Amino acid sequence: MIKVSPVDSSRFGGNLMMVPMRTVLRAGFIALSLGLAVSTSTAADSSESRSISFVNDVVPIFTKAGCNAGPCHAKAGGGPNGFQLSLLGFEPDEDYESLVIEGNGRRIFPAAPEHSLLLRKASGQVSHGGGVRLESSSQEYAELVQWIEQGMPFQNAEDAELVNLTVEPERGIVQPGESVQLKAIAHYSDKSTRDVSRLALFESNSEAMLHVDERGLAEAKTLPGRAAVMVRFQGKTAVYSAAIPLGAETGEFPPARNFVDELVFGNLRELGIPTSEVCDDGTFLRRVTLDIAGRLPSEEETTAFLADSSESRRDQAIERLLKSPGYADYFANKWTTLLKNRRDDASDITSNFAFHAWIRDSLLANVPYDQLVRQLLAATGTVVENPPVAWYKRVKDPKEQLEDVAQLFLGVRLQCAQCHHHPFERWEQDDYYSLAAFFSQVGRKPTGIRGEDLIFHERGLATAKNVKTGVDLRPAALGDNVGEITPDQDPRLYLADWMADPQNPFFAKAVVNRYWKHFFTRGLIEPEDDIRDTNPPTNPELLAALEQHFIESGYDLKELVRVIVQSNAYQLSSQPNEDNLVDRQNYSRFYPRRMQAEVLLDSIDDLTGSRTVFANLPTSTRAIALPDNSYNRSSEFLRVFGRPENTSVCECERVQTSTLAQLLHLINSSEIKNKLADGSGTAAQLASSEDSEEARVHRLYLLAFSRKPTTDELETAMAFLREPVLNEKGEPLTPQQAAPQKYRDLIWALMNSKEFLFNH
Amino acid sequence: MEHRTLRAFTILTLLALWASVAPTAHAQSVGLPTPRLLTVTPMGAQAGTTVDVVVSGDYLEGLESLHFSSDSITGKPKVNADGTPVPNQFTVTVAADCPPGNYDARVTTRLGLSSARTFQIGSLPEISQAGKNITVEAAQKVTLDSICNGALTARQVDHYAFEAQQGDRVVVDCAAKGIDSKLTPVVIIADADGQDLVVERRGGLLDFQVPENGTYLVKIHDLTFNGGPYYFYRMALHKAKEGEKVVRLPATRAVDAFSWPPADYSEASVIPEIESKDNPRQIMPVSLPCTISGRFYPAADVDVFQFEAKKGEKWWIEIASSRLGLSTDPSIVVQKVEGAGAEEKLTDVLQLTDIPSPIKVSSNGYAFDGPCYNSGSADALGKLEIPEDGTYRVQVTDLFGGTRNDPQNEYRLSIRKATPDFAVVAWATHMQLRNGDRNALSKPISLRRGASMPLDVVVFRRDGFDGEIEFSFDNLPEGVTATGLKIPAGKSNGTVIFTATDDAPRGFSRATLTALSTLNGETITRPVELASMAWPVPDHWRENPAPRLLTDAPVSVSESEAAPVSIAAVEDRVYEAKAGEKISIPLKLVRRCEFSGKNLAFKTFGAGFERTPSFDVSLDADTAEAVIDLAALKTKPGDYQIAFYGGAVAKYSYCSEMKASIEAELEEAKKGLADLQAQEQAANEQLKTAAEDARPEIEKSLAALKASRTASEAEIKAIEKRLQDATRKAAPKDIVDIVVTPPIKVRVTAAEEVVSK
Repeated sequence: MIKVSPVDSSRFGGNLMMVPMRTVLRAGFIALSLGLAVSTSTAADSSESRSISFVNDVVPIFTKAGCNAGPCHAKAGGGPNGFQLSLLGFEPDEDYESLVIEGNGRRIFPAAPEHSLLLRKASGQVSHGGGVRLESSSQEYAELVQWIEQGMPFQNAEDAELVNLTVEPERGIVQPGESVQLKAIAHYSDKSTRDVSRLALFESNSEAMLHVDERGLAEAKTLPGRAAVMVRFQGKTAVYSAAIPLGAETGEFPPARNFVDELVFGNLRELGIPTSEVCDDGTFLRRVTLDIAGRLPSEEETTAFLADSSESRRDQAIERLLKSPGYADYFANKWTTLLKNRRDDASDITSNFAFHAWIRDSLLANVPYDQLVRQLLAATGTVVENPPVAWYKRVKDPKEQLEDVAQLFLGVRLQCAQCHHHPFERWEQDDYYSLAAFFSQVGRKPTGIRGEDLIFHERGLATAKNVKTGVDLRPAALGDNVGEITPDQDPRLYLADWMADPQNPFFAKAVVNRYWKHFFTRGLIEPEDDIRDTNPPTNPELLAALEQHFIESGYDLKELVRVIVQSNAYQLSSQPNEDNLVDRQNYSRFYPRRMQAEVLLDSIDDLTGSRTVFANLPTSTRAIALPDNSYNRSSEFLRVFGRPENTSVCECERVQTSTLAQLLHLINSSEIKNKLADGSGTAAQLASSEDSEEARVHRLYLLAFSRKPTTDELETAMAFLREPVLNEKGEPLTPQQAAPQKYRDLIWALMNSKEFLFNH
Repeated sequence: MEHRTLRAFTILTLLALWASVAPTAHAQSVGLPTPRLLTVTPMGAQAGTTVDVVVSGDYLEGLESLHFSSDSITGKPKVNADGTPVPNQFTVTVAADCPPGNYDARVTTRLGLSSARTFQIGSLPEISQAGKNITVEAAQKVTLDSICNGALTARQVDHYAFEAQQGDRVVVDCAAKGIDSKLTPVVIIADADGQDLVVERRGGLLDFQVPENGTYLVKIHDLTFNGGPYYFYRMALHKAKEGEKVVRLPATRAVDAFSWPPADYSEASVIPEIESKDNPRQIMPVSLPCTISGRFYPAADVDVFQFEAKKGEKWWIEIASSRLGLSTDPSIVVQKVEGAGAEEKLTDVLQLTDIPSPIKVSSNGYAFDGPCYNSGSADALGKLEIPEDGTYRVQVTDLFGGTRNDPQNEYRLSIRKATPDFAVVAWATHMQLRNGDRNALSKPISLRRGASMPLDVVVFRRDGFDGEIEFSFDNLPEGVTATGLKIPAGKSNGTVIFTATDDAPRGFSRATLTALSTLNGETITRPVELASMAWPVPDHWRENPAPRLLTDAPVSVSESEAAPVSIAAVEDRVYEAKAGEKISIPLKLVRRCEFSGKNLAFKTFGAGFERTPSFDVSLDADTAEAVIDLAALKTKPGDYQIAFYGGAVAKYSYCSEMKASIEAELEEAKKGLADLQAQEQAANEQLKTAAEDARPEIEKSLAALKASRTASEAEIKAIEKRLQDATRKAAPKDIVDIVVTPPIKVRVTAAEEVVSK
């Protein structure tokens, strides 16, 4: 065996800085045992070609070519043919070892660089599962050859460290159909810069608005609004923000009722997108009732509202709704779904009911949001006496706790950082485990109730081990120091304090964006729980103003709802005009959306006058007030219309797409037929009513659409009601005999209209 | 504890064996029936009033009288105006000077005393729920400063309406768990339309500031919308003054409360914690010994007390909060203080958390591997040995208190020199088997003739108390004896056995159970508290057993049934043997019914003898012999009391005399019907031949006879139904009964010394 003496780095061209000694030894050993003359620094010193560094040059080539992408050689559990690279090259020393050392150095052939397996595979000269990644004529190919010729240096002594990445330009207005060339500039520790556009990755957050090619040429499409291009290079990111104007004549905007209007209309003015009209009263009442209380307005509410001529009638309606238990029920449904209030076992019933009720009561009492989150995060005791403890019953793993908390309350998806540096963000594994450390002192004691633990603060110094480095980390909140936490103090309280700090960049932003999306269908940041520098909001000023308003209001959720729905922006009609039809993200009109499963079921119940009965609950229980997912099992309606099973903190678990099954269920299911035929339901009541037929049709339209029928609609309905109905023998039925069937059909027709099924 | 586990295991094995020979033995058939009082409606009364109450429960056939744990409350059967008794109803009179609080009500039946149900005495006027007040429209009107007794209907919400003026402070308290109810109450104040305004679901007070004059509703429902007669509540509606501290309705005491307070404790000597709003971590100097009262308030409160101490001093530190009935988990940390200001250095000296249960508590699995009574506590107790002269701090926190702001969460912190003491709690021994003896857990000490009943006894030893513990019993009914098997020094559990003689007369009395020990040459006595389950729990997975302390210890003996089998030592004498030899104890059996299985496997109670291997006793024989190898047990010379115990599957027939009595009743009713039919037939015949003017009279009489006949037929149907029910109940059923011998005295003398030459 050849004994390798302490390595003289000059033997390897002086280029082995920062490589772990074990790697150096092994590289030296392989080179020596192959009897190869390891090249010296001549190539690097050549005036014709600069020295190539594995870290600064080779890894970016791999990243650009997609070699170290998740599905390829960075696949968890091992890359193809044992060639494992770190995801996006975040661990260059490991990659160097994989490439140069492992497999007895078979992937590199220093004697004839172009015969290296690395190059022959990548260029398709030998069979490669990933196809051709580098043309042999490409500059990248040539650089890899050159790197091998130079003796495969890991990093050159003179190499500076990449410290920042910028994109030029940073922002701009791009007319539809026009393009802009983006330039990625790498900034190094020695103050030097380098244009790395060729090696950087470019990714648009909306291909439909702004397409970007691999060289950074961004082309605006025809959809107006704001889009961004994320530029990535070696763990650094930069963002280009584009405004794509429509350039139409905007005319007068509706008057601004608050800062929301100023900022929404200001953005539209800048983009040249006109708004639709402000919607009529009936549409407003229906929309806001559905959005705040998850139900249709009652006939009496609509009648009274339409008859009200006061200036403040809309604001008054908002106040009534915010005060009503329906608000608490509807938003409790939203939050308990995200907080995974899930029934896996019959014995979960008490904790699920208690947890749901806790959220619902807190919303009813308008407990400030920061307090609500604090009570949840730092919950201790038993479920019945302190229901937020139930969250710790369902989410037991501290890693899942931190991931859920980060995604739900901070809008930060940290899952990636458990194993590697976050590809689009600054989060590293240390950030992940220091957040986990907040949950490290959650103590559990068994209780007499099956599956339920008492939760308490277990005295001790909070730490969590970074599984990769083995280092025990103290609690830190996404890089922020929260101060010294003694063993007696519950670290979760510090996390809650950090969140509730008005300077916190995530906490308020995440919830105002989530609530904005609730009312406007589209978040200012999409997805609503993926807030990061590389995913900028479509209206940053508006998001910042909402955030500020929310913090100044003392984290008042009702005030947040109030300021949103009082705005004329919210009260715009959903009817597009010629210009704003293309707008999908600037709120120039209301974007209609299908009612969610529970709301739709309740609305059908209200329209047909037939209540759905849920097992072991009072018969008056509405679907939006159901405490957990267990009722999905018995309700085909809820399943078909996408009521979630409460398994995820992501709102995306709720399926809002339309399916054929939904259509058929509404048209032809026995459930709907039975509701229509309910002996004490709306059809039966109308059929036996002494009111005029016209009045009865009016009632139906108020119930279904919160408006009176138009003349045409009334005529059509009356004509239908007067059509003779024949019995089996072909004899006409008397109007009294025919009436129930007629009204069932009329209700059925209204129920199946888009105007009913959508909040618009 | 080790012995207990072993015992549990053996019973389990034993019963598994029986299950194989007697497949009908199942969870529902454990323990012979004893009367269970399940509801008393209303659940309380105002002092100085008389109310009619209705009782219900299981095995209440032959219901006779209603008793309370205080002589200030008396009940007598309710009678109609014509003097006939109203079934299951009693008229209860509460003396005007009866202190408010919870009392135990029990009924007596042919089988003796029933299990207990709480009856609460208050000072406010009381009303009862009238009809179904389950909608806003049907809300029952109530007045402020009253208590309403009600019970929920499943899937429904009870509604009460009250009038209040703007600015009024209305406090609603709802007693449920604290009066043995199964209800987890949700209490809501709503506006007149039923729209919820404020809600309380955690068992706290609902403190409501009335926003404007008008009608308001109190809505009550169960957390998971359960209902039925066992979901009862007492709702107190109180108009409180600004700043008034509202006293909660009384609540039953949890089992852990038996160990608080120490015998010499006095509230008068307690010093209050100094609370500072500005400095939540204010340090309060104290001098030892002391007892401090404080609060875990506001949220995440940390109370710190500082004192000086000398090396070698020994202090006992005890905190009570959970044992005061609060949902807290106190923790104590003692630290040594060095330096001051920025240089201050704190070093941990001692950390105390829960007081462990002296014996293993049942884990919550399908197997029932210990009692469901936790005699430990979430409070803390421990010894502090001062390592060196200096300044020390005791820091007190509530591990549940991070986010909870409840000023009612109080504690008492005692730092004292060793004051050795003990407290004792006991409960009826249960069988440890698959899904348990749970539905028989609320076992009153109501003995059948010839029966022996064991109770588990657990000792809480305070401040290093290590003495032997013996027991004495007073005021037992005639024919009943009780013996406590001595608990040796350092041990935490033992057994008490109550035995009724074969010919004990029917009777009951409120007995006194006392534990005795010797401390510094003096005898000290402590009362033995009794605990029981509030409800039988057939499915432990769905329902959490709710044990509590009882307020008295009545014992009864019944004549109407005898134990299925009585096994006892042949002679009432001391059985003697030398250490290292075998001791033989002849046993006699008196069988009174058939059994499934031929043998009964006996294990042994009694310190020093628990490891006696199980031995079989033939259920067919009249005698048996227990042979104990003292060499194997290494029993030291001394006087002992032991008892043998096991389980036998009896072919038990419930209340067969009831069947006979109903049969007799039926025969009588049938005779009556035949008479009526005959009379009716005669009247019909008479009518055929009667003169015109006599006909109306005959027709009238005929109509009356017809009505009587119809009533008689209906009565017969009802009697037949009762007979069917009684026949079903009287059909022999396999029931596992715990068979225990009366205590047997054993003396082990010293072995003769062998002198080697």
